[in-house]
Order: sequence, then C-alpha cells, then structure tokens
Amino acid sequence: MKYIIAKSLDGALAALQDTGTGRARVVAGATDLFLQEQPDRLIDISRLPELQEVTLEKGLLRVGAAVTHNAASASGLIWEKAAALAEASTLLGSPQIRNIGTLGGNVANAAPAADAAVALAALGAEAVLFDSPGRFYVKPFAGLYAGYNCSRVDSCREILAWFLIRPAGPGQGSAFLRFTARGALSLPLANAAARVTLEKGRLKEVSLVVAPAGPAPSRLKKTEALLLGSNLSGKTWSMAEESASAEVAVRGSALRCSVEYRRRLIGILAGRVLSLAAQRAQRNR
Amino acid sequence: MDKQVVSFNLNGEAVRVRCDPFSSLLSLLRDRLGLLGTKAGCGRGECGACTVLLDGLAVNACLVPAGKAEGLNVETIENLSRGGSLHPIQEAFVEKGAVQCGFCTPGMVMSAHALLKSDPAPGREEIRKAISGNLCRCSGYVQIEEAIAAAADKLKD
Ligand SMILES: Cc1cc2nc3c(=O)[nH]c(=O)nc-3n(C[C@H](O)[C@H](O)[C@H](O)COP(=O)(O)OP(=O)(O)OC[C@H]3O[C@@H](n4cnc5c(N)ncnc54)[C@H](O)[C@@H]3O)c2cc1C
Ligand code: FES
Ligand code: FES
Repeated sequence: MKYIIAKSLDGALAALQDTGTGRARVVAGATDLFLQEQPDRLIDISRLPELQEVTLEKGLLRVGAAVTHNAASASGLIWEKAAALAEASTLLGSPQIRNIGTLGGNVANAAPAADAAVALAALGAEAVLFDSPGRFYVKPFAGLYAGYNCSRVDSCREILAWFLIRPAGPGQGSAFLRFTARGALSLPLANAAARVTLEKGRLKEVSLVVAPAGPAPSRLKKTEALLLGSNLSGKTWSMAEESASAEVAVRGSALRCSVEYRRRLIGILAGRVLSLAAQRAQRNR
Repeated sequence: MDKQVVSFNLNGEAVRVRCDPFSSLLSLLRDRLGLLGTKAGCGRGECGACTVLLDGLAVNACLVPAGKAEGLNVETIENLSRGGSLHPIQEAFVEKGAVQCGFCTPGMVMSAHALLKSDPAPGREEIRKAISGNLCRCSGYVQIEEAIAAAADKLKD
C-alpha cells in the first residue's frame, strides 16, 4: 500500500501505468473514496497546480478537475462565466466537504445527482482526459457515464484534467438549484441546472438538465425545444414546469421520495432555474 | 499491512509516523498519536465531530487518508488552549452555555476557529454556514452561534 502525492501530471500518469507495484487509482479530495474498494496505490493529484487553475483562454473557460468546491464557489471568473457551476459548488455538502472535495471527483464518482456534474452538463462542458504523458482526448460530458454510479472515466488508467466550458457572453446566463431535506449535509432529492441565450427578449438557446433521472444528469430536450422563441413571462416558466414534469423519467426511492413527488419537484425546479438563468442573461449585456 | 512514513506539521511540531497511509487521519491522531480531543463520530463525513484544520481549512479527519497529510499543517483542538488557559473561543463556549454533553464541541470549536481566522467579524449567517457541517444533538445551536459571535468580539479586543 502506498499513498503517492503526485508532483507533476506526467509523473502521476507514469505512476498509474506502473502496474508492477500493484493496482493504482487516482484520488483527489478522497471524500467519496471511503465508499470504494481500496487499490494497492493511491495517486493523489490534488496538489497539481495545473489541475487547480481556472482560466479564460481562446474563448473557453478552462476549469481544473482538482479545483475544490470552495475554490469554485469563491471564483469570480466562474460566477461571471458559468454561474451554475459556482452555485452548485456553493450548495454542495458542508464546509468541510467543500474545502477538500473536487469537481473532478464529483464527476468521476458518477453519482446520478452529483451537484457540480449537473451544472457542468447544463453548461455543455467537455472533459479533457489524459491516459499517458502528453496524450489527451476531449470527451463530451454525456460520454462520461457508463451506468448508475459507474463512470466511463477509468480512474485506474486515466486522469480527468480540465473541464472546458463556453463562457457566458452577452445575453447568456446559467443557474443551478437543488432541493434537500436539510440545508447542509444532505444529498439532493432533486437538482436542476439551466443555461439560456436570449435574443430580443426571447429564448434563443436553452439547455436544461435535471437529476436524478437515470444514471447521468438528464437533458430534457423536448422541454428545451418547446421553449425556443418564448418570452420571459410567468406563463413561459409554468409551461416549462409542466413540460419538464411530463418529460422527465424519474425513479422513486422507498426511503427518500415517491415517483410522483420527485416528478413534481423536478418540474418546479426546472421552471425556477430557467427563470433565474434568464434573469442573469438579461443582466449580462 | 504495508506501512509508509508520513511527515507533517502537527500543532506547530514536525512529526514523522510510520502508518498505514490509507487509514484515516482521525485514527492516526487518536490511536497512534494519542490526541483524543478530536472526536470519532459517524466516520463518514456527516457529523463534523472529527473536524481539524488542514493547512488552515476545516476538514473531516475521518475522510482524510493519513498519507494525504504529507507535508501539510494539521491543527487539532489540542493546539488551542495555552499553558492551562482556554482559548477565547473555548472561553466563549463555556460562558454562553454552548457545551452540553460536549461530544460535538471540539469539532464546533475548530469550525469556529477556521471561520474566525478568515473572517474576524462574521455575521450570524456566516456563523451558521461555518458550522453547517457540524451536528449537535443537545444544544439547538443557538448558544453555539452566540458563543462564536462572542468569541469574535473577544478576539477583536
Ligand atoms: C458527508 C458528505 C456529503 C456530501 N454531499 C454531497 C452533495 O451535497 N452533493 C454532491 O454532489 N456530492 C456530495 N458528496 C460527495 C463528494 O463529496 C463529492 O462528489 C466530491 O466532489 C468528490 O470529490 P473528491 O475530490 O473528494 O473525490 P475523490 O473521493 O478523491 O474521488 C472520487 C472518485 O473519482 C476518482 N477521481 C477523482 N479525481 C479524479 C480525476 N481528476 N481523474 C480521474 N479520476 C478521478 C477517484 O478515483 C474516485 O473513484 C458528499 C460526500 C460526503 C462524504
Ligand atoms: S466522524 Fe468525521 S464527520 Fe463524523
Ligand atoms: S453538546 Fe452534545 S452533541 Fe453538541
């Protein structure tokens, strides 16, 4: 058993590939790790400076996978360009969890209603993954899920390095909302995130993602299409609520809430989150 | 079980311990280093009884693998009182009746300590947020909030 604090991305990748000393796995904040089977070696990527950066370059917001939720929630750049992500990171877990838990861990853990993951999905993020020094590929967010709590990111072989996000420009805005039984330390009963583009006071582009509804954050494409061209009135948000409720494929949980309750809840969150995203887009001139 | 040497700074002193690097920082502190002030509650990040500061930030020691502490500063409740006299946060907890069974208290005090280091004059909302990862089954939280506000005043003086 060995715990290795990676000093460079290439070093971390080399350590993952070196199977001579047993199976290795990437770890960041380790807040989800205690639930999993332990490998022979853990490669801690949480101190790699390049994975903690938040930068705006070549028209894209690049957010490191080792950015903690607290760092995301304190980042003026993320609030300005991808508010939904900052909002999800602010509401997640507890101060202790946010201080150490990371965006990459939230996504690679593949929980169906992981808060930051829902925001990243609505923002249309892409993920940059490395599987050996100097070799990376870019995957769309939806391609990161293999099933319930099962990620396509193979954390014994690959390192999720960055998320690439189209930053909010004039007339664009995003938002995230969740509903929990308690204010803190409570996994969401449902969450929703939206990103909209406005043109002449009407919805020109809509991205709406809700969870839990299947293994991955779920885009409600029918509702998105229905809303195109609508104005920003209360009637539009009621229509969104109704349509989202009807469209979403939900599972109930004997312990947490029934299918009917969750369906209604997701509809309400969808209407509210769209309205909040639109308000932000209006302000963003 | 494979052991590894982990070196870190504990309450201002350099320590080197041979331990299972995957075991928790909480068990390293309590079972190996004999620092019993940090409490073991749920063992899964949900109660905050095990709160310590890692490089100045409040974390759940039960979730931190011991190997993660390598090269970092770890501060526990034992670092707060000086030569037998309580730290102002601890004094305020006593004065405001914020301690009942006391099991949550070390964790609450460490969350308060992390808050007051970064924000010396927090409002009630900030105080509530700072202790939102700490459960108390006795007090109802009001006295704890009052104690943290009083501690902020004491530390200002
Ligand atoms: C008490 C408690 C409350 C919580 N509340 C919430 C909540 O409200 N909402 C929520 O969404 N989540 C919550 N979580 C879950 C968790 O804290 C978050 O998902 C967190 O973001 C995980 O990040 P991490 O860095 O700790 O991941 P880790 O535990 O380090 O890793 C998780 C998984 O991802 C892999 N991994 C991590 N980083 C990478 C990378 N860069 N490349 C490849 N693989 C990687 C690891 O191998 C592991 O399989 C909670 C957890 C606890 C214990
Ligand atoms: S014992 Fe660590 S949070 Fe409960
Ligand atoms: S005083 Fe008993 S749990 Fe807080």
